[in-house]
Amino acid sequence: MAQSLILLSIGLPWLGAVATWLTRNEQERTQHVLAVGFSVAAGLASLALIPYAGSSVALRLPLGGLFGDMTFVADGLGVFLAAVATVVGSLAVIFSVSYMHGDPQLGRYYSLVLLFIGAMVGLVLTNSMLFLFFFWEITALCSYALISYYNDDPKAVSAGIEALVMTQIGGVGLLGGALVVYALFGSYEIDAFLQNAATLGPTPLAWMAFGFLIAAAAKSAQFPFQTWLPDAMEAPSPISALIHAATMVNAGVYLLARFYPAFAPVPGWKTAVVAVGVISALLTACMALFAPDLKRALAYSTVSQLGYMVYAIGVGGIAACSFHLFSHSIFKALLFLAAGAVIHAVGTRDMWKMGGLAKQMPIACTVFVLGALSLAGIPPVFNGFWSKELVLEAGLTGGPTWALVAMLVGAGLTACYTFRMVWMVFFGEARSHLHGHDATPAMRVSLGLLAIGTLTSWLAAGPFFHLLESTMPHHKLHALSLGGLTHEILAAPFTWIAVGVVGLGLLAWAGRDRLTFLTDGFGWLGVAASKSFGFERINEQVVAATQATANALRVTQPGHLSWNLVGIIGGLVAVLILLTWGA
Amino acid sequence: MGDSAIYSILVVGALICAYRAMTSPRILSSTIYLACVSAAVAMMLYLLGAYQVAVIELSVGAGLVTVLLVYAISVVGDDASDPGPVIPRPVAVGLALLTAVMLGYMAYSLPSKALTGRVPPLIRALWEQRVLDVWIQMVLIFAGVLGILGLLAEGKTARAKAHEAAGNGHRTVKVIPPTACGCAPLDPRGAHGSANKEEVHV
Amino acid sequence: MTPLQIGLLGVIGLLGVGCYGLLITRNLIKVVIVLQILVKAVVLALVLAGQAGGQAGLGQSLAATVIVADTMVAVVGLALAVQVRRRVGSVDVSAISTLRG
Repeated sequence: MAQSLILLSIGLPWLGAVATWLTRNEQERTQHVLAVGFSVAAGLASLALIPYAGSSVALRLPLGGLFGDMTFVADGLGVFLAAVATVVGSLAVIFSVSYMHGDPQLGRYYSLVLLFIGAMVGLVLTNSMLFLFFFWEITALCSYALISYYNDDPKAVSAGIEALVMTQIGGVGLLGGALVVYALFGSYEIDAFLQNAATLGPTPLAWMAFGFLIAAAAKSAQFPFQTWLPDAMEAPSPISALIHAATMVNAGVYLLARFYPAFAPVPGWKTAVVAVGVISALLTACMALFAPDLKRALAYSTVSQLGYMVYAIGVGGIAACSFHLFSHSIFKALLFLAAGAVIHAVGTRDMWKMGGLAKQMPIACTVFVLGALSLAGIPPVFNGFWSKELVLEAGLTGGPTWALVAMLVGAGLTACYTFRMVWMVFFGEARSHLHGHDATPAMRVSLGLLAIGTLTSWLAAGPFFHLLESTMPHHKLHALSLGGLTHEILAAPFTWIAVGVVGLGLLAWAGRDRLTFLTDGFGWLGVAASKSFGFERINEQVVAATQATANALRVTQPGHLSWNLVGIIGGLVAVLILLTWGA
Repeated sequence: MGDSAIYSILVVGALICAYRAMTSPRILSSTIYLACVSAAVAMMLYLLGAYQVAVIELSVGAGLVTVLLVYAISVVGDDASDPGPVIPRPVAVGLALLTAVMLGYMAYSLPSKALTGRVPPLIRALWEQRVLDVWIQMVLIFAGVLGILGLLAEGKTARAKAHEAAGNGHRTVKVIPPTACGCAPLDPRGAHGSANKEEVHV
Repeated sequence: MTPLQIGLLGVIGLLGVGCYGLLITRNLIKVVIVLQILVKAVVLALVLAGQAGGQAGLGQSLAATVIVADTMVAVVGLALAVQVRRRVGSVDVSAISTLRG
């Protein structure tokens, strides 16, 4: 049963991708129906997979010889991420029915989205490192293609290429690790690797551990690769919600969580992970505080929350990290979709032109506020509160104190910039005359479902942790029931310290006029933050250097057949020489 | 002795004909020389015992390809002027010699085995093993025929271009999709880079 | 010299002549002719190798496949040459360097 469900979860979106691709762009309604149908079916298939989760190989497709078998394991981490990918994916597709209405190249859009959903499910369910890399690359390709979807816009195209190049740097690290494992163990299987990781020897294991950390940091836009995610906001809002909040950026965190038992003993690895998480969280929280563009602020907040998850892994709280991953996917997708509804209505992303939209867009306002409260971590019913507290609790017991203090400060900053976003968009005086309609019915479906999820997903904590513990034997997790979770969090004094910091953050925003001494004193920080602390400059220089090299190499392309033949035969001679030497 | 002599004659003949095919000024003579090479190789294959392959080689190489080449030459015109090569001759000689020497070095380190004498026609029996090759060949032939038809269809592209120029109603790609609510169409992707304020607001 | 060695000499010689010819020629149709010479060398090599290695049938069936494939290459190559002649006006290789970088 698990076999067919896994095949359905991956195969249905891919079938849908082919189907929407083949439908002519004149039949727009058919394309919408096909896309929604296939993605909802995939969502149902992966939800149905949850009861069948186990820790053994569920599906094995023999491919013979060199590439090993294509194996899939439906364990807790993979199953819940697959469910998130397909369910949030189907909600984003439903949202797109309204958002992308009238777009002339809808076939390309939907087929890429569905291809991406299938590849994401494959990525989290696979047990072979080579196929992990294969699905990883497909998601990177789809992400690039969707960021540059509006390919008449040079900004979108350059943002897409930037995302592609950065995540590919990480992908190389991942491939290298997979090949090292194959060379030393003879197989690509992940669970075999986790069991015998210690036999790899300290040096190869350390190379793998840091290579994978770089791959994960590049994919999840952590420091020092954090610039591609804010630039990727050129993509349509459903894409930002799906790829850059709920699924693809989770792949990096997933990688670290999956391989944690193997890499934890490597000296310095856990500290490096904690450092990456803390720096990313604080840096981007600062930048979110000064961002004028609504989607950019949300992107910075995504990187910041991913920093929390990476930090949780670094201190050993895999269960806490997974729980925060789950909550974050839901409320961040909600925030992005609600922002998309606002942007679609008023036609601009600039928060300085918005203001006072609550009267015109009550539904969008309500769901956005719900998501924002969850992001800020306000008790008691928001899933963000419970998961963030769990992360901080894990940090209390498992990690260095400086990191914990920094994350607390980050929590306060989170509350501050979240409230800023809400205030600037929906309340206060309207800064310019914008006419906005409220969310359309298709949008309301997605927004409503995600809002309900935000309020209730934490109630599934008990079965969630139990699923993780029972299906991931290498990670040695400790399951909490819901009652245990609530008790542990509410009873710990630390929680109330954290809530206090969050409250401070809110008050700081509310009383900002009186805190002008702070803004003047930290003005330099604001300027630095709006220039993203120099990282954009580095990006531009790297791109310019690459283009200069490419231009210089054009002289090697004479376009003449005889010279090309010289190249071919010369290459043949080189290969022959190599072969004789090597033999 | 007789065996080796026949092989040597055939090999030398093939090499001479190949060289003449390459260097002769008229393409039509090159074609004839190619047919001679084909014949020599086919004879060698026959002597080695590969009867079916020899027949295929002779009929296809010396027959079909020669006919095709003659047809192509008749269409293109036998321009007898082949100007000097673009690549300096020493480079070409050097590369070719290097290839030959490297290959020879690799091949002569193989132990010299005796040939297994006359071989019964196993080729039919082994089509069961190489059935995939048969399918691939059929696909290849089909693709080749399609390629020929497409490439030699003259005037069709000109007609198609005239048809498109008249306009046949393809939608142009619009950057601004119409909004669904009937409001004035606005750019839903928002203002790009419009918010570069000098002072920093919180 | 055993027939195998003579045959190998022939293969290497044909390959060398073929490579030289590919680099020297400037006429597209001659390119097709030289490619045909190269392929004949390959066919001979395959059959020789099959017989020397004991798997005569395998060598022969691969050789037959290669002959079919190379004939298709010749066919399509000639069609391309004809089209080049029609559009550009000559089959000289130097006339079709639009892919210049």
